[in-house]
Amino acid sequence: MTANRPLIRRLRSTLFMGLLALTPLSVQAETARERWHADIGQGYLALQESSSRLADAASAYCETPNGPVRERVEALWREAFLNWQRIRFVNFGPIEQNSRAWQFQFWPDPKNLVANKVRYWLNSDSPLTAQTLASAGVAVQGFPALEYLLTDSTFTQSGQSLPLTRTCELLTAITTYVHANARQVASDWQALKPHYLATEDYTDTTIRAALSTLEVLRDRRLGGPMGLRGNDKRNPYQADAWRSQTSLATLAATTEGLESLFVPGLKLELEAAGQTQLGSPLDARMAAVQANFDTLPDAMAPLLEDNNRFRELQALYIDLVQLEQIMNEEIASALGVVQGFNASDGD
Amino acid sequence: MIERRQFLRLGLAGLVLASPLGGCALRSPRSSESPLLISAADTPDGRHTLVGTDLHGERRFLIPVDERCHGGCPRPGSSQLVLFARRPGRHFYVLDAKQGTLIQQVAAGQDHHFYGHGVFSHDGRYLYATENHYPSGQGWIGVYDAQRNYQRIRRLSAGGIGPHELRLHPDGSTLVVALGGIQTHPDYERIKLNLATMAPALLLMDRHTGDILQRHTPSHHQLSCRHLDISPDGIVVAGYQYQGPDWQTPPLIARLNTQSGQFEEIDLPQQVQRTLNNYTASIAIHPNTPNTLVTAPRGGRALLLNHQSGRLIQHFQIPDCAGATADYDGFVISSGNGRLYRITHDTHSLQPLGHQTIRWDNHLTPYALT
Repeated sequence: MTANRPLIRRLRSTLFMGLLALTPLSVQAETARERWHADIGQGYLALQESSSRLADAASAYCETPNGPVRERVEALWREAFLNWQRIRFVNFGPIEQNSRAWQFQFWPDPKNLVANKVRYWLNSDSPLTAQTLASAGVAVQGFPALEYLLTDSTFTQSGQSLPLTRTCELLTAITTYVHANARQVASDWQALKPHYLATEDYTDTTIRAALSTLEVLRDRRLGGPMGLRGNDKRNPYQADAWRSQTSLATLAATTEGLESLFVPGLKLELEAAGQTQLGSPLDARMAAVQANFDTLPDAMAPLLEDNNRFRELQALYIDLVQLEQIMNEEIASALGVVQGFNASDGD
Repeated sequence: MIERRQFLRLGLAGLVLASPLGGCALRSPRSSESPLLISAADTPDGRHTLVGTDLHGERRFLIPVDERCHGGCPRPGSSQLVLFARRPGRHFYVLDAKQGTLIQQVAAGQDHHFYGHGVFSHDGRYLYATENHYPSGQGWIGVYDAQRNYQRIRRLSAGGIGPHELRLHPDGSTLVVALGGIQTHPDYERIKLNLATMAPALLLMDRHTGDILQRHTPSHHQLSCRHLDISPDGIVVAGYQYQGPDWQTPPLIARLNTQSGQFEEIDLPQQVQRTLNNYTASIAIHPNTPNTLVTAPRGGRALLLNHQSGRLIQHFQIPDCAGATADYDGFVISSGNGRLYRITHDTHSLQPLGHQTIRWDNHLTPYALT
C-alpha cells in the first residue's frame, strides 16, 4: 500500500457494509453466546471467502502473469490477512487445533524463520503442493510467507522473485493451503455450535480471549516495536507485517474485529448481568482507540523513526491501556471473569 | 512389556517400601515439623522470582531470577533445593532453602533446554532432569553430580519426545517419567510441532542403565502425560493434558501399579470430567494415606481421589489452582491469584492459609526444616 491510510479507511467502510448484511441474523440472537457464535462465524466466513479469492487470483496470476493481476493478488492478500486480524482474538475452539492460528500467522519471528524457510523451499527440489506444505512447518504455511513472496523489498528484486515457476508453485501452494485451513476452521466453528451454546464456560472463555488479545495488542504488538518491553529500543521488525508496511493496519483490524465481532455479544452479557450501564463507557473507550487509527498510516516504521510522530504511537498506546482498564477492571470484574495466571499459560 | 526379572525387582522394592530419604516426592508429614513451601512466582508487574513461604502463608524469602521457573525438588540430606526454568528453560537454580539464598545457577548444555522438572537420587548425590535436544526433538534425562558442582556426567535417552515430570520409585533405582510426547523448539515459541504423531507414555526407567522397564500408553495419542507422583508402595498417579478438540472429554488421570504393571485410566463422573477443561497441572500423593490431589487450573478445580480404589472422594472449586503438595494433615494448594489453601484429611474441607500479592506458578516444592 503506497498512499497514507487508504487501507485502514477502506477496511472500516467494508466492515460497515458487512455489519449491515449481518444485522438480520444478529437481531434474532438472544443470548451472548448465540450472538458471539453468529458474529465469529461471520468473521471466519469472511476469512474463508477472501482466502478463496486470493487462491484463485494467485493461480490466475501464475498462469498468465501480468501487472494488474499481480496487484490484485497483493490486494487480496491484504484483504484476507486483515480478515484474519479481525478474527484473531478467538483463541479457543477449532482454531486451537493443530496450531492453526500459528499456521495462519507465524509471529513473532525474531530469527526471521519465515524468510529462511521460504528460501529453503524455493531452493529445494521437493514437490511443492498444498499437501507437501502440510508437513513443512508453520513458518511457511501462512500469510507472512505470502507477504515475503509478494512484498519483501530484497526478495522481489531478486532472480527468484515472482513469477518464476518455482516461486509461483510456492505462492499457489500456500494460498491453497491457507484457503483450505480457513474453510476447515469456518466449518468446524459451525460444528461447534451446539457445544458452544450449551457450555456455560464458553462465556468466560470468550471474554478472556478478548482480554488476552487486548493485552497482546498493547504489550507485544505495539509496545514491543516501541521499545516498551524492557530494552527501550525501538524496533519495527518486532511488529506484525513490517514487510508489507501494514503493521498499524493489522492493529486497527484486530481492534475493529473486537468491536464488531465481540462487543455486541458482550453487551448482551452485560445486559443479562444487569450491568448495561458499562456499555457506553466501553463504546467511548473503543471509539477513542479507533480515532487514533483514523489519523495513523498503515505502516509503523516511519513513526518509530521520527520522535514527533512517535507521540502518535504513544497516544494510541495510552488509549489502549485505558480500553484494557475498562475491560479488565470494570467489565470483567462485574461479570466475575478472572484471567488466571496458571489457567492461561501453564506447562 | 515388562521383563520378569525387572518385574520381580519392582515387586520386592514395593514390599520393602520407601526409604525415608526420598527425592522430590519426599514428605516428612510429622506434625512436629513445619515445612517450607518453595515455588516459582511472578510479581504483579511480571518479574520472575523464587519464593519460600511457611504454612501460615508467611513469606520467608523472595529471590529474583531472569526466567520464569516451574517445578523443583529438595536435595535429600541437605538444605539445598533445585528449581528449574520453564520450557524452554536454559537454567536450573540451586537454593539454600534454610538461608533463602541462591547458591548456584546451572546452564543447560548446548542445544538443550530443561522441561522444568527434576529429581534427586535418595543419597542426594545425583540430580536427574528432563531435557530437550531441540535440533532433533529427542528427549533426554540429564544426570548431574551435586557433589561435583552439579556437573553433568551423562545423559540417558528418555525413550521419546517431551519428557516432563519425573520421580524416583521407592526402590531408589527406578525413575518414573511422564513422557508428554509433544515436540517444541525454542525458535517456534511454544508451538506444538507434532500433534498428529505424538507418542506420549508413562515410563519406568532404570536410572543406572537407562533401560526402559515399563512403557504404558495413554488411550489417545494426543493425551500428553505431564505430571505424576508415586506412593511409598509404588502406585503412580499421572495427569494428562489433552491436545485434541475441547468438546471432547477423554480421561485425564492414570493410575499405575508398578509392582503388577497394571495401568488404567480413571473415569470421573461426566459432570466433573467436563469441568477440568482437558488440563491437569499438579499431582500430589499423600505418603500416609491413600489420597491423591490433582489440580486443574483451566477448570479452576481440585480433585481429591483415593488412588488405591481410583474413586473420586471430593472435588473443589479453586480459581487458578495449580501447585499441590502433601503436608501432615492433608494437602496444600497454591493459586495464581496468590492464595494458599489446605484440604484436610478428616473433614475434606478447604481452608484458606494466606494470601500474597504474587502469582504462584504451577508447582509447590516442600522442604522440611530440621
